[in-house]
Amino acid sequence: MMRLSSIARISPIRIWQLFRDRLLEDGPTAGVGAAVVLALNLLSLLFFKRATFNAGSGQAWGAAIGLGGYLLAASAFKRMHDGKAGTEWILLPAEPVEKYLAALLEYALALPLLLGAAATGLSALLALAERAAGGPGSFAWTPAAAGGLGAWGRYAVGVCLFLAGSASFRKNAFLKTVGLIAAFGLAAMLVAGGGAWLLGRGSGHLSFGAANGTISIDGESLSEAARRAIELLFELSAYVLAPAFSILFGWAKVAEKEARDEVQ
Amino acid sequence: MIELRSMTFGYGKKALFEGLDLGLEPGSIYGLLGLNGAGKTSLLKIVAGALAPKAGSVEVFGRVPELREAACLADIAFVPEDPWVPALRPSAWLSRYACFRPAFDRDRFAALLGEFAIEEDKLLTKFSYGQRKKFALAAALASGARAVLLDEPTNGLDIPSKTQFRRVLAASASEDRIVVVSTHQVRDLESLIDPVLILDAGRVTFTLSSDTIAERLASARLASPDARAAVHAEADAVGWSALVPREGREGEAAADLELVFNAAVGQPERLAAALAGAALPPDPQAAGAGPAAAAAKGGRS
Repeated sequence: MMRLSSIARISPIRIWQLFRDRLLEDGPTAGVGAAVVLALNLLSLLFFKRATFNAGSGQAWGAAIGLGGYLLAASAFKRMHDGKAGTEWILLPAEPVEKYLAALLEYALALPLLLGAAATGLSALLALAERAAGGPGSFAWTPAAAGGLGAWGRYAVGVCLFLAGSASFRKNAFLKTVGLIAAFGLAAMLVAGGGAWLLGRGSGHLSFGAANGTISIDGESLSEAARRAIELLFELSAYVLAPAFSILFGWAKVAEKEARDEVQ
Repeated sequence: MIELRSMTFGYGKKALFEGLDLGLEPGSIYGLLGLNGAGKTSLLKIVAGALAPKAGSVEVFGRVPELREAACLADIAFVPEDPWVPALRPSAWLSRYACFRPAFDRDRFAALLGEFAIEEDKLLTKFSYGQRKKFALAAALASGARAVLLDEPTNGLDIPSKTQFRRVLAASASEDRIVVVSTHQVRDLESLIDPVLILDAGRVTFTLSSDTIAERLASARLASPDARAAVHAEADAVGWSALVPREGREGEAAADLELVFNAAVGQPERLAAALAGAALPPDPQAAGAGPAAAAAKGGRS
Protein backbone atom coordinates (compact mmCIF):
# COMPACT_ATOMS: atom_id res chain seq x y z
CA MET A 1 0.00 0.00 0.00
CA MET A 2 1.46 3.33 -1.03
CA ARG A 3 1.35 5.68 1.91
CA LEU A 4 2.50 9.24 1.51
CA SER A 5 1.50 9.84 5.14
CA SER A 6 4.36 7.61 6.23
CA ILE A 7 6.83 10.23 5.01
CA ALA A 8 5.70 12.42 7.90
CA ARG A 9 6.75 9.71 10.33
CA ILE A 10 10.29 9.31 9.02
CA SER A 11 12.85 9.05 11.78
CA PRO A 12 16.47 9.90 10.91
CA ILE A 13 17.57 7.74 13.84
CA ARG A 14 15.85 4.66 12.46
CA ILE A 15 17.23 5.39 8.98
CA TRP A 16 20.70 5.56 10.51
CA GLN A 17 20.13 2.26 12.33
CA LEU A 18 18.93 0.60 9.13
CA PHE A 19 21.80 2.14 7.16
CA ARG A 20 24.36 0.95 9.72
CA ASP A 21 22.83 -2.53 9.69
CA ARG A 22 23.11 -2.71 5.89
CA LEU A 23 26.66 -1.41 5.93
CA LEU A 24 27.70 -4.02 8.49
CA GLU A 25 25.99 -6.75 6.48
CA ASP A 26 27.58 -5.73 3.18
CA GLY A 27 31.03 -5.04 4.65
CA PRO A 28 32.35 -8.60 4.32
CA THR A 29 31.08 -8.92 0.72
CA ALA A 30 32.67 -5.61 -0.27
CA GLY A 31 35.86 -6.73 1.49
CA VAL A 32 35.97 -9.92 -0.57
CA GLY A 33 35.46 -7.87 -3.75
CA ALA A 34 38.32 -5.54 -2.79
CA ALA A 35 40.55 -8.54 -2.04
CA VAL A 36 39.82 -10.02 -5.49
CA VAL A 37 40.70 -6.70 -7.16
CA LEU A 38 43.90 -6.47 -5.13
CA ALA A 39 44.84 -10.06 -5.97
CA LEU A 40 44.30 -9.47 -9.71
CA ASN A 41 46.49 -6.39 -9.61
CA LEU A 42 49.24 -8.06 -7.60
CA LEU A 43 49.31 -10.97 -10.05
CA SER A 44 49.63 -8.65 -13.05
CA LEU A 45 52.28 -6.68 -11.14
CA LEU A 46 54.19 -9.87 -10.54
CA PHE A 47 54.10 -11.03 -14.15
CA PHE A 48 53.97 -7.80 -16.15
CA LYS A 49 55.28 -5.14 -13.74
CA ARG A 50 51.95 -3.33 -14.26
CA ALA A 51 48.92 -3.11 -12.00
CA THR A 52 46.24 -4.00 -14.52
CA PHE A 53 43.62 -1.65 -13.03
CA ASN A 54 46.04 1.31 -13.30
CA ALA A 55 46.62 0.70 -17.01
CA GLY A 56 45.33 3.28 -19.49
CA SER A 57 43.04 5.84 -17.88
CA GLY A 58 42.18 3.48 -15.02
CA GLN A 59 38.63 2.92 -16.18
CA ALA A 60 38.70 -0.53 -14.61
CA TRP A 61 38.48 1.06 -11.15
CA GLY A 62 35.29 2.92 -11.98
CA ALA A 63 33.84 -0.16 -13.68
CA ALA A 64 34.64 -2.33 -10.64
CA ILE A 65 33.02 0.15 -8.25
CA GLY A 66 29.97 0.44 -10.48
CA LEU A 67 29.60 -3.30 -10.92
CA GLY A 68 30.13 -3.93 -7.19
CA GLY A 69 27.58 -1.29 -6.27
CA TYR A 70 25.02 -2.66 -8.73
CA LEU A 71 25.52 -6.25 -7.56
CA LEU A 72 25.02 -5.22 -3.94
CA ALA A 73 22.04 -3.01 -4.78
CA ALA A 74 20.44 -5.88 -6.70
CA SER A 75 20.59 -8.01 -3.55
CA ALA A 76 19.44 -5.22 -1.20
CA PHE A 77 16.02 -6.77 -0.52
CA LYS A 78 17.01 -10.41 -0.84
CA ARG A 79 16.14 -11.02 2.81
CA MET A 80 12.67 -9.59 2.31
CA HIS A 81 11.91 -12.33 -0.24
CA ASP A 82 13.23 -15.15 1.94
CA GLY A 83 10.57 -17.45 3.38
CA LYS A 84 11.87 -17.34 6.95
CA ALA A 85 13.94 -14.16 7.14
CA GLY A 86 11.29 -12.22 5.22
CA THR A 87 8.80 -12.23 8.08
CA GLU A 88 11.45 -10.85 10.44
CA TRP A 89 12.50 -8.20 7.90
CA ILE A 90 8.96 -7.09 7.10
CA LEU A 91 8.06 -6.84 10.78
CA LEU A 92 11.22 -4.98 11.82
CA PRO A 93 9.77 -1.84 13.43
CA ALA A 94 10.65 0.77 10.81
CA GLU A 95 8.54 2.42 8.13
CA PRO A 96 8.87 0.85 4.67
CA VAL A 97 9.98 4.25 3.35
CA GLU A 98 12.79 4.29 5.93
CA LYS A 99 13.89 0.82 4.87
CA TYR A 100 13.99 1.96 1.25
CA LEU A 101 15.74 5.26 1.98
CA ALA A 102 18.42 3.50 4.02
CA ALA A 103 19.15 1.21 1.05
CA LEU A 104 19.19 4.13 -1.37
CA LEU A 105 21.57 6.10 0.85
CA GLU A 106 23.95 3.21 1.20
CA TYR A 107 24.14 2.03 -2.39
CA ALA A 108 23.83 5.40 -4.16
CA LEU A 109 25.88 7.52 -1.79
CA ALA A 110 27.91 5.79 0.91
CA LEU A 111 29.11 2.81 -1.09
CA PRO A 112 30.61 4.77 -4.03
CA LEU A 113 32.26 7.13 -1.53
CA LEU A 114 33.75 4.31 0.53
CA LEU A 115 34.71 2.19 -2.48
CA GLY A 116 36.04 5.29 -4.26
CA ALA A 117 38.24 6.12 -1.27
CA ALA A 118 39.44 2.52 -1.03
CA ALA A 119 40.16 2.39 -4.76
CA THR A 120 42.08 5.68 -4.59
CA GLY A 121 44.24 4.31 -1.80
CA LEU A 122 44.77 0.96 -3.48
CA SER A 123 45.59 2.55 -6.81
CA ALA A 124 48.19 4.84 -5.20
CA LEU A 125 49.77 1.90 -3.38
CA LEU A 126 49.84 -0.13 -6.57
CA ALA A 127 51.44 2.79 -8.46
CA LEU A 128 54.19 2.86 -5.82
CA ALA A 129 54.58 -0.90 -6.08
CA GLU A 130 54.79 -0.58 -9.88
CA ARG A 131 57.62 1.90 -9.55
CA ALA A 132 59.39 -0.31 -7.04
CA ALA A 133 59.05 -3.24 -9.45
CA GLY A 134 60.58 -1.21 -12.25
CA GLY A 135 57.28 -0.51 -14.01
CA PRO A 136 55.93 2.92 -14.99
CA GLY A 137 53.99 3.70 -11.78
CA SER A 138 52.93 6.99 -13.27
CA PHE A 139 49.16 6.73 -12.83
CA ALA A 140 47.06 6.60 -9.69
CA TRP A 141 43.28 6.57 -10.01
CA THR A 142 41.00 9.11 -8.35
CA PRO A 143 37.20 9.44 -8.60
CA ALA A 144 37.78 12.53 -10.77
CA ALA A 145 39.42 10.25 -13.36
CA ALA A 146 36.18 8.27 -13.56
CA GLY A 147 34.19 11.34 -14.49
CA GLY A 148 33.48 12.87 -11.09
CA LEU A 149 29.93 13.96 -10.35
CA GLY A 150 28.61 13.12 -13.82
CA ALA A 151 29.74 9.52 -13.48
CA TRP A 152 28.29 9.35 -9.99
CA GLY A 153 24.94 10.64 -11.32
CA ARG A 154 24.81 7.90 -13.96
CA TYR A 155 25.80 5.32 -11.36
CA ALA A 156 23.08 6.56 -8.95
CA VAL A 157 20.43 6.20 -11.66
CA GLY A 158 21.56 2.59 -12.11
CA VAL A 159 21.33 2.02 -8.36
CA CYS A 160 17.70 3.22 -8.40
CA LEU A 161 16.92 0.69 -11.14
CA PHE A 162 18.70 -2.20 -9.40
CA LEU A 163 17.01 -1.42 -6.07
CA ALA A 164 13.62 -1.55 -7.78
CA GLY A 165 14.71 -4.85 -9.37
CA SER A 166 15.75 -6.18 -5.99
CA ALA A 167 12.40 -5.22 -4.48
CA SER A 168 10.55 -6.90 -7.35
CA PHE A 169 12.45 -10.10 -8.09
CA ARG A 170 12.84 -12.91 -5.60
CA LYS A 171 15.72 -14.59 -7.44
CA ASN A 172 18.45 -13.47 -9.89
CA ALA A 173 17.45 -9.84 -9.41
CA PHE A 174 20.67 -8.54 -11.04
CA LEU A 175 20.29 -10.47 -14.29
CA LYS A 176 16.57 -9.87 -14.49
CA THR A 177 17.07 -6.12 -13.98
CA VAL A 178 19.79 -6.05 -16.65
CA GLY A 179 17.40 -7.92 -18.96
CA LEU A 180 14.62 -5.47 -18.22
CA ILE A 181 16.86 -2.45 -18.85
CA ALA A 182 17.99 -4.01 -22.15
CA ALA A 183 14.37 -4.67 -23.11
CA PHE A 184 13.44 -1.06 -22.33
CA GLY A 185 16.43 0.17 -24.32
CA LEU A 186 15.40 -1.98 -27.26
CA ALA A 187 11.81 -0.78 -27.02
CA ALA A 188 13.01 2.86 -26.91
CA MET A 189 15.15 2.25 -30.01
CA LEU A 190 12.21 0.68 -31.80
CA VAL A 191 10.00 3.63 -30.90
CA ALA A 192 12.69 6.08 -32.07
CA GLY A 193 13.27 4.06 -35.22
CA GLY A 194 9.52 3.93 -35.85
CA GLY A 195 9.31 7.68 -35.40
CA ALA A 196 12.15 8.23 -37.84
CA TRP A 197 10.49 5.87 -40.32
CA LEU A 198 7.28 7.85 -40.06
CA LEU A 199 9.08 11.18 -40.34
CA GLY A 200 11.08 9.88 -43.31
CA ARG A 201 7.82 8.64 -44.85
CA GLY A 202 8.76 5.06 -44.89
CA SER A 203 12.36 5.02 -45.96
CA GLY A 204 14.53 6.50 -43.29
CA HIS A 205 16.59 5.75 -40.31
CA LEU A 206 17.52 7.87 -37.33
CA SER A 207 21.19 8.43 -36.66
CA PHE A 208 22.77 10.17 -33.72
CA GLY A 209 25.98 11.84 -34.68
CA ALA A 210 27.81 11.41 -31.44
CA ALA A 211 31.06 12.77 -32.81
CA ASN A 212 29.81 16.21 -33.77
CA GLY A 213 26.69 16.26 -31.60
CA THR A 214 24.20 16.15 -34.45
CA ILE A 215 21.01 14.16 -34.79
CA SER A 216 19.89 13.44 -38.32
CA ILE A 217 16.96 11.76 -39.99
CA ASP A 218 17.68 10.32 -43.40
CA GLY A 219 20.96 12.19 -43.40
CA GLU A 220 19.25 15.52 -42.83
CA SER A 221 20.41 17.27 -39.66
CA LEU A 222 17.76 18.47 -37.24
CA SER A 223 17.58 22.08 -36.22
CA GLU A 224 19.44 23.11 -33.07
CA ALA A 225 16.14 23.54 -31.19
CA ALA A 226 14.89 20.09 -32.20
CA ARG A 227 18.22 18.54 -31.33
CA ARG A 228 18.20 20.21 -27.92
CA ALA A 229 14.60 19.11 -27.33
CA ILE A 230 15.44 15.48 -28.10
CA GLU A 231 18.48 15.62 -25.82
CA LEU A 232 16.41 17.17 -23.06
CA LEU A 233 13.78 14.49 -23.46
CA PHE A 234 16.45 11.82 -23.21
CA GLU A 235 18.06 13.42 -20.15
CA LEU A 236 14.70 13.92 -18.48
CA SER A 237 13.80 10.27 -19.08
CA ALA A 238 17.16 8.89 -17.99
CA TYR A 239 17.98 11.13 -15.04
CA VAL A 240 14.58 12.15 -13.66
CA LEU A 241 11.71 9.96 -14.80
CA ALA A 242 13.45 6.58 -14.71
CA PRO A 243 14.94 7.01 -11.19
CA ALA A 244 11.79 8.65 -9.83
CA PHE A 245 9.58 5.91 -11.21
CA SER A 246 11.89 3.14 -10.05
CA ILE A 247 12.12 4.61 -6.52
CA LEU A 248 8.34 4.87 -6.24
CA PHE A 249 7.85 1.43 -7.75
CA GLY A 250 10.46 -0.18 -5.49
CA TRP A 251 9.11 1.54 -2.40
CA ALA A 252 5.58 0.34 -3.23
CA LYS A 253 6.90 -3.20 -3.63
CA VAL A 254 8.58 -3.04 -0.22
CA ALA A 255 5.53 -1.48 1.44
CA GLU A 256 3.20 -4.09 -0.04
CA LYS A 257 5.39 -7.14 0.47
CA GLU A 258 3.66 -9.84 2.49
CA ALA A 259 5.16 -12.85 4.27
CA ARG A 260 3.23 -15.41 2.25
CA ASP A 261 6.04 -17.86 1.66
CA GLU A 262 5.96 -19.87 4.86
CA VAL A 263 2.47 -20.23 6.16
CA GLN A 264 1.01 -23.30 7.73
CA MET B 1 -7.04 -4.41 22.20
CA ILE B 2 -6.86 -6.53 19.06
CA GLU B 3 -9.95 -6.16 16.93
CA LEU B 4 -10.83 -7.88 13.67
CA ARG B 5 -14.03 -6.78 11.95
CA SER B 6 -15.51 -8.68 8.99
CA MET B 7 -11.99 -9.69 8.05
CA THR B 8 -11.59 -11.68 4.85
CA PHE B 9 -8.36 -13.30 3.80
CA GLY B 10 -7.28 -16.09 1.50
CA TYR B 11 -4.58 -17.46 -0.73
CA GLY B 12 -5.42 -17.09 -4.40
CA LYS B 13 -9.14 -17.48 -4.89
CA LYS B 14 -9.55 -19.75 -1.88
CA ALA B 15 -10.87 -17.89 1.15
CA LEU B 16 -9.38 -18.89 4.47
CA PHE B 17 -11.38 -16.40 6.54
CA GLU B 18 -14.58 -14.81 5.40
CA GLY B 19 -16.03 -12.01 7.51
CA LEU B 20 -14.14 -13.00 10.66
CA ASP B 21 -14.94 -10.97 13.77
CA LEU B 22 -12.72 -11.26 16.81
CA GLY B 23 -11.92 -9.08 19.81
CA LEU B 24 -9.07 -9.78 22.21
CA GLU B 25 -8.66 -7.82 25.42
CA PRO B 26 -5.43 -7.09 27.32
CA GLY B 27 -4.63 -9.03 30.45
CA SER B 28 -5.09 -12.52 29.01
CA ILE B 29 -3.06 -15.30 27.46
CA TYR B 30 -5.26 -16.51 24.63
CA GLY B 31 -4.79 -20.05 23.35
CA LEU B 32 -5.48 -20.35 19.64
CA LEU B 33 -6.30 -23.93 18.72
CA GLY B 34 -7.18 -25.33 15.32
CA LEU B 35 -6.57 -28.23 12.98
CA ASN B 36 -3.65 -28.14 10.53
CA GLY B 37 -4.50 -25.66 7.80
CA ALA B 38 -7.19 -23.94 9.87
CA GLY B 39 -5.29 -20.68 9.50
CA LYS B 40 -3.70 -20.16 12.91
CA THR B 41 -0.37 -18.95 11.52
CA SER B 42 -2.09 -16.84 8.89
CA LEU B 43 -4.26 -15.24 11.54
CA LEU B 44 -1.23 -14.41 13.69
CA LYS B 45 0.58 -13.00 10.66
CA ILE B 46 -2.43 -10.86 9.76
CA VAL B 47 -2.56 -9.45 13.29
CA ALA B 48 1.22 -8.89 13.20
CA GLY B 49 1.01 -7.01 9.88
CA ALA B 50 2.96 -9.53 7.81
CA LEU B 51 -0.13 -10.42 5.78
CA ALA B 52 -2.83 -8.03 4.58
CA PRO B 53 -6.52 -8.85 4.77
CA LYS B 54 -8.48 -8.68 1.52
CA ALA B 55 -11.44 -7.00 3.18
CA GLY B 56 -12.53 -5.85 6.61
CA SER B 57 -10.31 -4.29 9.22
CA VAL B 58 -7.67 -5.31 11.73
CA GLU B 59 -6.57 -3.05 14.56
CA VAL B 60 -4.01 -3.58 17.29
CA PHE B 61 -4.29 -1.05 20.08
CA GLY B 62 -6.04 1.32 17.66
CA ARG B 63 -3.47 1.04 14.87
CA VAL B 64 -3.68 -0.82 11.59
CA PRO B 65 -0.80 -3.30 11.37
CA GLU B 66 -1.16 -3.65 7.60
CA LEU B 67 0.13 -0.07 7.27
CA ARG B 68 3.37 -1.12 9.00
CA GLU B 69 3.86 2.06 10.96
CA ALA B 70 7.02 1.75 13.02
CA ALA B 71 5.13 2.52 16.24
CA CYS B 72 2.59 -0.21 15.50
CA LEU B 73 5.23 -2.81 14.60
CA ALA B 74 7.16 -1.97 17.78
CA ASP B 75 4.02 -2.72 19.78
CA ILE B 76 3.71 -6.22 18.30
CA ALA B 77 6.12 -9.12 18.80
CA PHE B 78 5.58 -12.16 16.61
CA VAL B 79 7.56 -15.36 17.09
CA PRO B 80 7.10 -17.77 14.17
CA GLU B 81 7.22 -21.51 14.63
CA ASP B 82 10.70 -21.66 13.11
CA PRO B 83 12.29 -18.28 13.84
CA TRP B 84 14.98 -16.82 11.61
CA VAL B 85 18.11 -15.46 13.25
CA PRO B 86 21.03 -13.51 11.78
CA ALA B 87 24.65 -14.67 11.98
CA LEU B 88 25.35 -12.62 15.10
CA ARG B 89 26.10 -13.26 18.75
CA PRO B 90 23.32 -12.33 21.18
CA SER B 91 25.16 -9.16 22.29
CA ALA B 92 25.61 -8.01 18.67
CA TRP B 93 21.97 -8.80 17.93
CA LEU B 94 21.02 -6.65 20.91
CA SER B 95 23.00 -3.64 19.67
CA ARG B 96 21.76 -4.01 16.08
CA TYR B 97 18.07 -4.82 16.49
CA ALA B 98 16.83 -3.95 19.98
CA CYS B 99 17.22 -0.27 19.09
CA PHE B 100 14.17 -0.52 16.81
CA ARG B 101 11.98 -1.17 19.84
CA PRO B 102 11.97 1.82 22.18
CA ALA B 103 10.39 -0.18 25.03
CA PHE B 104 12.89 -3.04 24.81
CA ASP B 105 13.90 -4.11 28.33
CA ARG B 106 17.59 -5.06 28.20
CA ASP B 107 17.71 -6.24 31.81
CA ARG B 108 14.72 -8.49 31.27
CA PHE B 109 16.31 -9.80 28.07
CA ALA B 110 19.54 -10.63 29.91
CA ALA B 111 17.55 -12.34 32.66
CA LEU B 112 15.56 -14.38 30.12
CA LEU B 113 18.72 -15.43 28.27
CA GLY B 114 20.07 -16.60 31.62
CA GLU B 115 16.85 -18.40 32.46
CA PHE B 116 16.83 -20.19 29.10
CA ALA B 117 20.58 -20.94 29.41
CA ILE B 118 21.35 -19.28 26.07
CA GLU B 119 25.06 -19.32 25.21
CA GLU B 120 26.18 -15.72 24.79
CA ASP B 121 29.42 -16.38 22.92
CA LYS B 122 27.92 -18.41 20.10
CA LEU B 123 26.53 -17.25 16.77
CA LEU B 124 22.74 -17.44 16.70
CA THR B 125 22.92 -19.36 13.42
CA LYS B 126 24.86 -22.10 15.23
CA PHE B 127 22.03 -22.56 17.72
CA SER B 128 19.81 -25.62 17.61
CA TYR B 129 16.15 -25.19 16.67
CA GLY B 130 15.14 -25.20 20.33
CA GLN B 131 17.82 -22.65 21.28
CA ARG B 132 16.81 -20.35 18.42
CA LYS B 133 13.26 -20.63 19.58
CA LYS B 134 14.18 -19.77 23.17
CA PHE B 135 16.22 -16.80 21.95
CA ALA B 136 13.30 -15.53 19.86
CA LEU B 137 10.91 -16.01 22.77
CA ALA B 138 13.25 -14.09 25.08
CA ALA B 139 13.49 -11.27 22.53
CA ALA B 140 9.70 -11.13 22.14
CA LEU B 141 8.98 -11.17 25.85
CA ALA B 142 11.58 -8.45 26.52
CA SER B 143 10.47 -6.36 23.52
CA GLY B 144 8.03 -4.24 25.48
CA ALA B 145 5.38 -5.01 22.87
CA ARG B 146 1.84 -5.05 24.17
CA ALA B 147 0.72 -7.67 21.65
CA VAL B 148 2.80 -10.85 21.82
CA LEU B 149 1.95 -13.47 19.21
CA LEU B 150 3.57 -16.88 19.62
CA ASP B 151 3.23 -19.59 16.98
CA GLU B 152 3.74 -23.07 18.41
CA PRO B 153 6.13 -21.80 21.10
CA THR B 154 6.73 -25.16 22.78
CA ASN B 155 7.54 -27.11 19.60
CA GLY B 156 11.18 -28.08 19.74
CA LEU B 157 11.65 -27.22 23.41
CA ASP B 158 12.98 -29.91 25.70
CA ILE B 159 11.04 -30.75 28.87
CA PRO B 160 12.94 -28.40 31.25
CA SER B 161 12.66 -25.62 28.67
CA LYS B 162 8.89 -26.09 28.46
CA THR B 163 8.69 -25.66 32.23
CA GLN B 164 10.91 -22.56 32.03
CA PHE B 165 8.79 -21.21 29.19
CA ARG B 166 5.58 -21.63 31.16
CA ARG B 167 7.13 -19.85 34.12
CA VAL B 168 8.52 -17.04 31.98
CA LEU B 169 5.27 -16.58 30.05
CA ALA B 170 3.22 -16.46 33.25
CA ALA B 171 5.59 -13.81 34.62
CA SER B 172 5.42 -11.82 31.38
CA ALA B 173 1.65 -11.56 31.35
CA SER B 174 0.40 -8.18 32.46
CA GLU B 175 -2.78 -6.15 32.56
CA ASP B 176 -1.87 -4.15 29.48
CA ARG B 177 -0.55 -7.01 27.39
CA ILE B 178 -2.31 -9.43 25.05
CA VAL B 179 -0.55 -12.75 24.53
CA VAL B 180 -1.85 -15.08 21.83
CA VAL B 181 -0.39 -18.57 21.72
CA SER B 182 -1.15 -20.78 18.77
CA THR B 183 -0.46 -24.38 19.64
CA HIS B 184 -1.09 -28.05 18.97
CA GLN B 185 0.65 -28.93 22.23
CA VAL B 186 -2.39 -28.20 24.34
CA ARG B 187 -1.16 -30.08 27.37
CA ASP B 188 2.08 -28.06 27.47
CA LEU B 189 0.14 -24.87 28.05
CA GLU B 190 -3.17 -26.04 29.51
CA SER B 191 -2.52 -24.32 32.81
CA LEU B 192 -1.63 -20.99 31.18
CA ILE B 193 -3.97 -20.28 28.31
CA ASP B 194 -7.26 -18.68 29.23
CA PRO B 195 -9.45 -18.26 27.29
CA VAL B 196 -9.16 -20.79 24.50
CA LEU B 197 -10.16 -19.81 20.96
CA ILE B 198 -11.04 -22.63 18.63
CA LEU B 199 -10.53 -21.88 14.97
CA ASP B 200 -12.41 -24.06 12.52
CA ALA B 201 -13.61 -23.58 8.95
CA GLY B 202 -12.42 -19.98 8.81
CA ARG B 203 -14.09 -18.75 11.98
CA VAL B 204 -13.66 -18.82 15.73
CA THR B 205 -16.25 -21.42 16.64
CA PHE B 206 -15.71 -21.38 20.41
CA THR B 207 -14.24 -18.95 22.90
CA LEU B 208 -13.94 -20.88 26.12
CA SER B 209 -12.75 -19.47 29.41
CA SER B 210 -11.22 -21.84 31.92
CA ASP B 211 -14.12 -21.03 34.28
CA THR B 212 -16.71 -22.07 31.69
CA ILE B 213 -14.85 -25.28 30.96
CA ALA B 214 -14.50 -26.04 34.68
CA GLU B 215 -18.17 -25.29 35.38
CA ARG B 216 -19.67 -27.18 32.48
CA LEU B 217 -17.36 -29.99 31.49
CA ALA B 218 -15.48 -32.87 33.07
CA SER B 219 -13.34 -35.76 31.96
CA ALA B 220 -14.37 -39.32 32.70
CA ARG B 221 -13.10 -42.82 32.08
CA LEU B 222 -15.73 -45.04 30.61
CA ALA B 223 -15.77 -48.80 30.21
CA SER B 224 -17.79 -48.36 27.02
CA PRO B 225 -18.80 -45.28 25.07
CA ASP B 226 -22.46 -45.92 25.86
CA ALA B 227 -21.93 -46.12 29.62
CA ARG B 228 -22.76 -42.46 30.02
CA ALA B 229 -23.92 -39.66 27.68
CA ALA B 230 -20.63 -38.14 26.58
CA VAL B 231 -19.96 -35.03 24.54
CA HIS B 232 -17.01 -36.82 22.99
CA ALA B 233 -15.22 -40.08 23.70
CA GLU B 234 -11.97 -41.52 22.45
CA ALA B 235 -10.77 -45.08 22.70
CA ASP B 236 -7.40 -45.56 24.31
CA ALA B 237 -5.36 -48.53 25.50
CA VAL B 238 -7.41 -49.14 28.62
CA GLY B 239 -10.93 -48.11 27.68
CA TRP B 240 -12.58 -44.84 26.80
CA SER B 241 -11.55 -41.35 27.67
CA ALA B 242 -14.59 -39.08 27.55
CA LEU B 243 -15.61 -35.46 27.83
CA VAL B 244 -18.87 -35.35 29.73
CA PRO B 245 -21.20 -32.63 30.98
CA ARG B 246 -20.26 -31.80 34.57
CA GLU B 247 -22.81 -33.12 36.98
CA GLY B 248 -21.37 -31.61 40.12
CA ARG B 249 -20.55 -34.97 41.63
CA GLU B 250 -17.70 -35.43 44.06
CA GLY B 251 -14.41 -36.41 42.42
CA GLU B 252 -15.22 -35.42 38.83
CA ALA B 253 -11.98 -34.85 36.95
CA ALA B 254 -11.19 -31.53 35.27
CA ALA B 255 -11.95 -31.48 31.56
CA ASP B 256 -9.02 -32.41 29.37
CA LEU B 257 -8.39 -29.54 26.93
CA GLU B 258 -7.43 -31.93 24.16
CA LEU B 259 -10.82 -33.64 24.46
CA VAL B 260 -12.51 -30.23 24.50
CA PHE B 261 -10.73 -29.32 21.27
CA ASN B 262 -11.58 -32.63 19.62
CA ALA B 263 -15.21 -32.17 20.64
CA ALA B 264 -15.18 -28.60 19.28
CA VAL B 265 -14.07 -29.71 15.83
CA GLY B 266 -15.82 -33.12 15.81
CA GLN B 267 -19.12 -32.54 17.61
CA PRO B 268 -19.56 -28.78 17.88
CA GLU B 269 -23.34 -28.99 18.40
CA ARG B 270 -22.95 -31.41 21.30
CA LEU B 271 -20.23 -29.28 22.88
CA ALA B 272 -22.35 -26.15 22.48
CA ALA B 273 -25.27 -27.95 24.14
CA ALA B 274 -23.11 -29.14 27.02
CA LEU B 275 -21.75 -25.63 27.54
CA ALA B 276 -25.30 -24.26 27.54
CA GLY B 277 -26.38 -26.92 30.05
CA ALA B 278 -28.87 -28.33 27.53
CA ALA B 279 -29.58 -31.93 26.58
CA LEU B 280 -27.04 -33.35 24.14
CA PRO B 281 -28.33 -33.66 20.57
CA PRO B 282 -28.02 -37.04 18.82
CA ASP B 283 -24.54 -37.89 17.65
CA PRO B 284 -24.52 -38.16 13.84
CA GLN B 285 -21.16 -39.93 13.89
CA ALA B 286 -22.54 -42.75 16.06
CA ALA B 287 -25.63 -43.39 13.92
CA GLY B 288 -25.43 -46.86 12.40
CA ALA B 289 -22.05 -47.56 13.93
CA GLY B 290 -21.40 -49.63 17.00
CA PRO B 291 -18.75 -48.90 19.58
CA ALA B 292 -16.26 -51.10 17.78
CA ALA B 293 -16.63 -49.10 14.57
CA ALA B 294 -16.38 -45.86 16.51
CA ALA B 295 -13.30 -47.11 18.35
CA ALA B 296 -11.72 -48.00 15.04
CA LYS B 297 -12.22 -44.40 13.97
CA GLY B 298 -10.42 -43.26 17.11
CA GLY B 299 -13.23 -41.38 18.73
CA ARG B 300 -16.97 -41.05 19.18
CA SER B 301 -19.44 -39.49 21.48
